[in-house]
Amino acid sequence: MEGEPLSNLEYHVLLALADRPLYGYALREAVEKESDGAHRPRAGSLYRVLARLMTRGLVQTTEPDGPVEPHPGLERRYYALTPRGRRALEAETARLRRAALLAAQRLGLVDRAP
Amino acid sequence: MNRVFELLIRAFPRAFREAFGAEMLELMRMDYARARARGRLAGLTTAVAVAADALASALAERLNPTWNPSSTRPRARRQTMGSWLVAWGRDFVHAARGLARSPGFTLVTVMTLALAIGANTAIYSVVESVLLEPLPYPNADRLVYLGGTAPGSDAPDELGVPDELYFEYRESVPALEDLGLYALASSTTRAEDHVEQLVLARVTPSLFTTLGARPLLGRLPNEEDDDRVVVLSHWLWQSWFGADPDVVGRSYYFARETRTVIGVLGPEFRFPDERVAFWIPLPIRPSQVTPGGFGTRVVARVARGVDREALTAQLAPLAMRVQERLGGPAPYRRIMERYRPIVKPLREQLVGKAAAPLWIALGTAGIVFLIACANVANLFLVRTESRLRDLAVRRALGAGRGGLVRTRMAEALLLAAAGGIGGVLIAWVGVPILVRAAPDAVAGGFASAPIPGLAAAGLDPTVLCFTAAATLSAALMFGLLPAMRASGPGLLDSLRHAGRGVAGRRTLGRNALVVLQMASALVLLVGSALLVRSLARLSNVDPGYEIEDIFTFQIAPDREDLNDRASVSRFQYAFMDRLAAIPGVESVGFVNTLPLDEGAGSGFVTTPRLQASGGEAPRVRVTGAGGGYFQTMGIEILRGRYFERIEEEQGIPNVIVSRSAADLLFPGEDPLGQKLRPEPSGEDTWFTVIGVVEDVLLDDLRGSPEPTVYLPGVSLSPAYVLKSKRADRLAPEVRAIIREMIPESPMYRVFTMEELAAQSKAQLSFTMQMLSIAAALALLLGAVGIYGVLSYVVARRTKEIGIRMALGAAERDVRRMVVAPGGRVALLGVVIGVLVALAVTRYMESLLFGVEPLDPASFAGMSAVLVAVALAASYLPARRAARVDPAVSLRAE
Repeated sequence: MEGEPLSNLEYHVLLALADRPLYGYALREAVEKESDGAHRPRAGSLYRVLARLMTRGLVQTTEPDGPVEPHPGLERRYYALTPRGRRALEAETARLRRAALLAAQRLGLVDRAP
Repeated sequence: MNRVFELLIRAFPRAFREAFGAEMLELMRMDYARARARGRLAGLTTAVAVAADALASALAERLNPTWNPSSTRPRARRQTMGSWLVAWGRDFVHAARGLARSPGFTLVTVMTLALAIGANTAIYSVVESVLLEPLPYPNADRLVYLGGTAPGSDAPDELGVPDELYFEYRESVPALEDLGLYALASSTTRAEDHVEQLVLARVTPSLFTTLGARPLLGRLPNEEDDDRVVVLSHWLWQSWFGADPDVVGRSYYFARETRTVIGVLGPEFRFPDERVAFWIPLPIRPSQVTPGGFGTRVVARVARGVDREALTAQLAPLAMRVQERLGGPAPYRRIMERYRPIVKPLREQLVGKAAAPLWIALGTAGIVFLIACANVANLFLVRTESRLRDLAVRRALGAGRGGLVRTRMAEALLLAAAGGIGGVLIAWVGVPILVRAAPDAVAGGFASAPIPGLAAAGLDPTVLCFTAAATLSAALMFGLLPAMRASGPGLLDSLRHAGRGVAGRRTLGRNALVVLQMASALVLLVGSALLVRSLARLSNVDPGYEIEDIFTFQIAPDREDLNDRASVSRFQYAFMDRLAAIPGVESVGFVNTLPLDEGAGSGFVTTPRLQASGGEAPRVRVTGAGGGYFQTMGIEILRGRYFERIEEEQGIPNVIVSRSAADLLFPGEDPLGQKLRPEPSGEDTWFTVIGVVEDVLLDDLRGSPEPTVYLPGVSLSPAYVLKSKRADRLAPEVRAIIREMIPESPMYRVFTMEELAAQSKAQLSFTMQMLSIAAALALLLGAVGIYGVLSYVVARRTKEIGIRMALGAAERDVRRMVVAPGGRVALLGVVIGVLVALAVTRYMESLLFGVEPLDPASFAGMSAVLVAVALAASYLPARRAARVDPAVSLRAE
């Protein structure tokens, strides 16, 4: 496992970026959707999480995939997973899966492990 | 609401804000906009939630930072000293190329800076050498000068320490570790093939121990020595004796006596100043003191940890104690009862009046420096503005803020360094000029001492450190503002509205610079106006005698046959006959002590009436005069007659008194035929008043006339005065007569009265010239500053002006539109300048003459000059604005 454990919000940010690079607003929308509305970070929280992930080398800024549709306002900065970020996401996913499996067993939602 | 969000962003640490601020702001705005679209309440709750989140995050980020940009840029993490140097080096090369491409800007900037830095370096080198560097004696910080004053008696303002008080100090003040007496004199000295009038100091042997002096050769005097020995100064040893070490032990004719050289001092020992040629021990014993000599001065070394106030308090009661023990005549008692000790650092006493002009000079140079920096900052801002687009593009392409500041600072540092080098060159040339121009004693002069340390002023390492500091602060002052501008948050805006927009906020900094310049210029203008008025008043002073066409000198004949009053007088008349025979000489006379040079002695005189009534004998100035002294000097005789030759020759007790002396001694009576007598006097000779002359200024042109009594003069070395249209060219002919008549005598104190009058005004005129030059420069730079800012505003508002004119604005309105801001800036500068000047002109009080430091005419007049110049400087851009052709200006966009 890579470094410190990930918080739930961090996990969702990495998860949202696993598919493709996103800019700030789109990233927040993805996090909200993928967490079933559990996480709807405001600007301060979101960028603080991004800053922490970038400092840990899990996320970096990048060029967007493909052409960008014209938009008003500020030039968008895109964020993407680094290889290290991808490994961290994989490790955390494996841990969550084990935990989920354990929970499902305890709650009797699935059969006990053979 | 956007404003609130912007403020919230400011709560984040700078690095975080720079990385994410813009994106966060955009996200906040979008959230808010969406919520607001659903209704006012939704908008409000969202805004509150966003704000709360931002505040909490900002706080958390400050307490526990998550953002560490270096770790995301692996290249930057490896940044070392080497790469830092490479970056700066690259920026310097880039800056040098850029500057080479605009030689006009570079030249003007470097010259302005070089002048400012050079002037400061030159003046600082003098200030350092004279006022800051420790005196060349061990424990210099504990050396003090002791003197006294006796307010309420009619003694002069500054007194020395009489011998009897000196011994009291020695015995009963443990706070004084060591102390010595000294008194200056000048006298004829003959050695090898030299004959000259030299300055000497009579000192107690303890003076050398107090100052920690060590001889270069031989030994220093001790308490057993009498005054038949001398210690030579280093310069006399070198120039007269060719640095011959065998001079110790030989005897020469020093100060009219044969004395033996016992030692030579090193070149650093120049006490009390560099004129002293040799020192003669003053063998005084407590038992042999004659009370009442207030002319000797005392230097003392104070014990560690004793401050001036404590020492003064310890010394204060001693004069009274001495007086009670010794008694003494009434005038002496009157002084001693009122005697208050003065304790001041030795340097303060040695530097004397020279300190004020020097500090003023340094202050002036500092103000010119500020103005120069402001001007360069203005030029630099213009240059930066013209390159904003370039900088914005670089920023957009990812150049860091630090990098942008660095490129601008590289240019500023390069310019400042060039200015600093130029400044050192200017100072190198300028220091000797400054040293010569500084008010100093005329060669051989005695009354006004040379400024200690002045001749040693030069570019030493301390001064160069000062120059380096000045250069660096100049770079920061004029470089930082444009650098911030070039990298500030508004930079990207300049890409968006390139070339458009109104000149609002952007001129704020430049207006501030102009206000600073105007205020500084006004301070200098007011200062120089005060000095100009003082000098005018001083030049119009009527001293009571003629200044023009008078030549003066002294001799010191030393002949066996001149041994009584009659023979000396006969010699004087024979000598004056020869002088009067020089072509063009109208009249000749002599006086024992010449006004503006040696002034006059002083003493107490009494009259029969005063004696009868038991009144106190007043102090008057006393000197001897003879020949055609009063006629030559043009001193008006009001009553009676001049001395006759027979009175001088025989010493007939007749006197001539000045008008104020007559009023003082014989109020309401006819002074002619009245009697007076010096007090105290051993004899019972009364002098008869035979004439009354006009009052004259004795010591300098600033003083007021004092009651003066002239005795029939006879003296071997008086000051001779010659009236002639050729006064400035008589010296060679006079010298030839002296060679012929009295070859053993030196000729010295050779002046014209004009030179002496100029010397009396030298300190004031020197300061006045310097301040006036600085004020003129400041005014010029200030005008250029206003002109520059308004030209810039006009250029930026051309389109607006065009529209206004197309809509029917008159030329007059347009002119007013431009001139009004210029006037406002100037007025603000005037207000600030007046306030500063009100606070600082009192430091010039010691230099002023007949003018108050807060002289309303100077303040009002110079403010008016400044406003007029500012308006004139505004008028040119205003005229240009009024000539804008609407059609052209609108097409230009």
